[in-house]
Amino acid sequence: MKQVIKGNHAVSHGVRLSRVQVVSAYPITPQTSVVEELSEMCAKRDLDASFIKVESEHSAMAALLGASTTGVRTFTATSGNGLLYMHEVLHWVAGARLPIVMANVNRAVGGVWNIWADQSDSLAQDSTGWIQIYCESNQEVLDSIIMAFKLAEKILLPVMITYDAFFLSHTSEIVDVPDISTVDDFLPPYRPIVEPNFEQPKMFGGFFAIDYFYEQRYNMHQAAKEALGSYQSICREFQDAFGRKYDILEGYRTEDADTIVVTAGTITSVARLTVDKLRKQGEKIGLMKIRMFRPQPTMMWQQVLGTAQKVIVIDRNLSPGSGGAFANEIQAALYPLSKRPIVFSIIAGLGGRDVTPQDIEGIVQHTRGHKNCPEGPLFWGLKQ
Amino acid sequence: MKKRSENAKIFDYNTFRDLTPLNCSVGDMLHNKTGSWRFIKPVFEDKIPACQHACPAGSDIEAWIKLMLRGNFEAAYWHLKREQPFPAVLGRTCYKFCQKSCNHNTLYDSSIQINELEKFLGDQVSPVQSHPLLPAYNGKTLAIIGSGPAGMSNAYFARLLGYQVTIFERLPKPGGILRVGIPEYRLEKNILDREFEGLAQMGISIHCNQCIGRDLSLEEISRQYDNVFLATGVHKSLKLELEGEKDSQHISSGLEFLKNLSLGATPDIGKSVIVVGGGNTAIDAARSALRLGAQVTVVYRRTQDQMPAHEHEVQEAIQEGVDFRFLASPEKIRMDPNGRIREIIFGEMELGPEDESGRRRPVKKPGGSFSMPADTLISAIGEMPDFDYLQGIDSACARQILSIAADGQARMASLPCAVFAGGDIVDIPHTVIHAVSAGKRAAIGMDCVNKQLDFETVQRSISIGRGNALSFSKYMGWPCLNPVPQNIHAVAGAEHIVMDYFKNTSASKIEITTGEKRKQDFGPYRQTLSKEMALKEAGRCMHCGRCMECNNCLIFCPDSSVLPRENGQFGYDIDYDYCKGCGICSVECPRGSIVMLDEEASLASQEA
Repeated sequence: MKQVIKGNHAVSHGVRLSRVQVVSAYPITPQTSVVEELSEMCAKRDLDASFIKVESEHSAMAALLGASTTGVRTFTATSGNGLLYMHEVLHWVAGARLPIVMANVNRAVGGVWNIWADQSDSLAQDSTGWIQIYCESNQEVLDSIIMAFKLAEKILLPVMITYDAFFLSHTSEIVDVPDISTVDDFLPPYRPIVEPNFEQPKMFGGFFAIDYFYEQRYNMHQAAKEALGSYQSICREFQDAFGRKYDILEGYRTEDADTIVVTAGTITSVARLTVDKLRKQGEKIGLMKIRMFRPQPTMMWQQVLGTAQKVIVIDRNLSPGSGGAFANEIQAALYPLSKRPIVFSIIAGLGGRDVTPQDIEGIVQHTRGHKNCPEGPLFWGLKQ
Repeated sequence: MKKRSENAKIFDYNTFRDLTPLNCSVGDMLHNKTGSWRFIKPVFEDKIPACQHACPAGSDIEAWIKLMLRGNFEAAYWHLKREQPFPAVLGRTCYKFCQKSCNHNTLYDSSIQINELEKFLGDQVSPVQSHPLLPAYNGKTLAIIGSGPAGMSNAYFARLLGYQVTIFERLPKPGGILRVGIPEYRLEKNILDREFEGLAQMGISIHCNQCIGRDLSLEEISRQYDNVFLATGVHKSLKLELEGEKDSQHISSGLEFLKNLSLGATPDIGKSVIVVGGGNTAIDAARSALRLGAQVTVVYRRTQDQMPAHEHEVQEAIQEGVDFRFLASPEKIRMDPNGRIREIIFGEMELGPEDESGRRRPVKKPGGSFSMPADTLISAIGEMPDFDYLQGIDSACARQILSIAADGQARMASLPCAVFAGGDIVDIPHTVIHAVSAGKRAAIGMDCVNKQLDFETVQRSISIGRGNALSFSKYMGWPCLNPVPQNIHAVAGAEHIVMDYFKNTSASKIEITTGEKRKQDFGPYRQTLSKEMALKEAGRCMHCGRCMECNNCLIFCPDSSVLPRENGQFGYDIDYDYCKGCGICSVECPRGSIVMLDEEASLASQEA
């Protein structure tokens, strides 16, 4: 049924439709209404889940660590500093190979206080072993939550669905909320490969000394790599069931493009409009939207971007002294190609600053004059 | 406890492929007996809840509430009757020591209304049916002098011990103070009659109109019976000793007035009545006089907060319209030649230095006096036991007999059988529940004498908590309701309650007829709980110190060492092979029924 709902609400519906059994979360702006909605769903038994109240994000994730170990489907949501507070346990649950799903509203990280859109929070978790999916619309948020459980439970790694603060979390859009029976067919109940059993007690998350920690990490890496193939087949299954098409990334008018803009999150919609406009003017321009960031889809990036002459990566995040996370990774991914495009790294929209169609057009125009990679990222729209 | 299988294996990990995807051990970890790390061990130990500890009779309140909640009122009733003989009577007359100590009261300021639940159960089940725990006679006989609460209690418990019991009562009807002291509006007499029918059903015989010292002598009785229990109460009123006081039908003692009323007389008390005194008898007399249509003033020589009468009785008297005059004491009665009172002269008092009771002694205020007219003067300034029946025994010896006998110790002295005493004649608070407790203590005491057991030793093993109440169940070896070890000496106070697991619930509201209405007649005015209300009220109980199988210990145990029992058996087993003694189960037990014991000390005690 189509409904006009906010991104946060879309998350809650995704969780409800996935029949999550344990929710534990701590409120933080702009995630709060996700959790409020979920607690109401639990109270009304629209969602038959235990809602564990905790005093911090660290405890929220720790509670899910325990819950997930017992073999139930678990969920939490957070944002910005809350995600950073979870950091230690993020590593833990990934290492314990627990299929936990989390929604993270991308929010700037304090200090200097800011609650608006910025992807530095989730990108700072790139080494935790979590799969990351970036979303562009409320519909995509809802659908991604449902697919995330299927992926996590298949590869036994946790999955994080991220979406921009306020641009999605607090903006209402038309969302097709699927029927729960359709979701049931797509997403069967979670069956853990090992269920805790009093008769045959086992140790979970035990000690891996020097002799096998290394192999354990190798296995995690393999599982993360496996996510690429698994996610593609899950996306196909999803399309058959719900009619909406997703993939690891989305290439838009890239086939013959000599210039490709790369975005993640809500800037994508703005960039798509600009690409259409410039195409009408005869420019061979395309767009690549990053959806899955961990694992790194190196081959797919090479395929989509490898034939272009210029790649413009717009990062709504910053690693001070280095640059944008997406640009850095894409440059690294393209390096093995014998003929590689020039990569422009653009930092834009930090802390929720609007990135308009005019900005995108300006950025594209700016790159025209350059034949070589400029040194370091370009801060677009800096007040000088 | 079922032992967990030991199939420890050493797994050879050769490649990364040997690791399981979910990072858990491949085999079990049973070879690693982590129990060896422990230096303190958790042990399930049910305790005595604060309410039971406070009850002079040691009523196993938590257990009968639990049975109520299981919907088995019959079982709850009989469990309640393990420690006290008449729930319907105590449900109406008890001063609720349990509720003052109730942990819900300590923590949330509103106790579980245990007394209302007791009344509800007492009214649900008839005492006139065969007692499920009634034994055959043991060949020993017991004579009880006095059929008040102490006598009834002693008869009941002695019968449960197998004694053949005969009660002798001076008045035409049995019940003692319950019959002639407590007015109908506090205890309906048909309730009392039913309890006596219940005692008769148990094979206890009662002979009324038998006054010891007049109709038969104590010596005679002591020759005919193996044991004697003296429970003659306090029925001799102290006199005002006033100037001008004469024998007159318009001057009466509170007890005499209440007794006549209870036995069917309707005394002519006129329009205005003055009651002198500040105890429960004074309040009962005042409220009864009010119900006969008189204007009543209670005059007390001390202040309101020093009244020995129960606070809520005083409040109810005030609601009904009884007037109070404090710091005044009668000095003189002016009577006319026909024996009618003309006026009573009172001296005004003030509080002087403290007396031996710790209260400031009232002393006469120089020059202050006033007079009040009255048709009837009722004095209720205190009662004392009447020891006339101890003829032939000098009074000092009689006192000694009583003091020793009251302790549950037999006194052979100059009588041929074992003598015990209890109730108001000995030095205990004058309440029904204390009398019940005394009757129980004496029944156990005489059984110890007959079985040649050392009473002191027995008492130590069956005394509840740190108090004086004795557990009849423990003496009889009746199993606790929870089939887990119970430490009868450990009390679960408020400090044992983990408040995170409980909600502050408010007490069910009991409908009480207004003072204006209830003074119209002698009928009861407190609503009895409906079944729904009773279950709701019972549901508020926190079950302090008693395992409720809430599974918290099992859930929180980080070593899976708290195990459910097989075949739905009550409680849990602790697998000490693996329990590390972290104590989380004990800390997370909402009601304090898991203790941590020092490992070496408990080993030593096992070896000893």
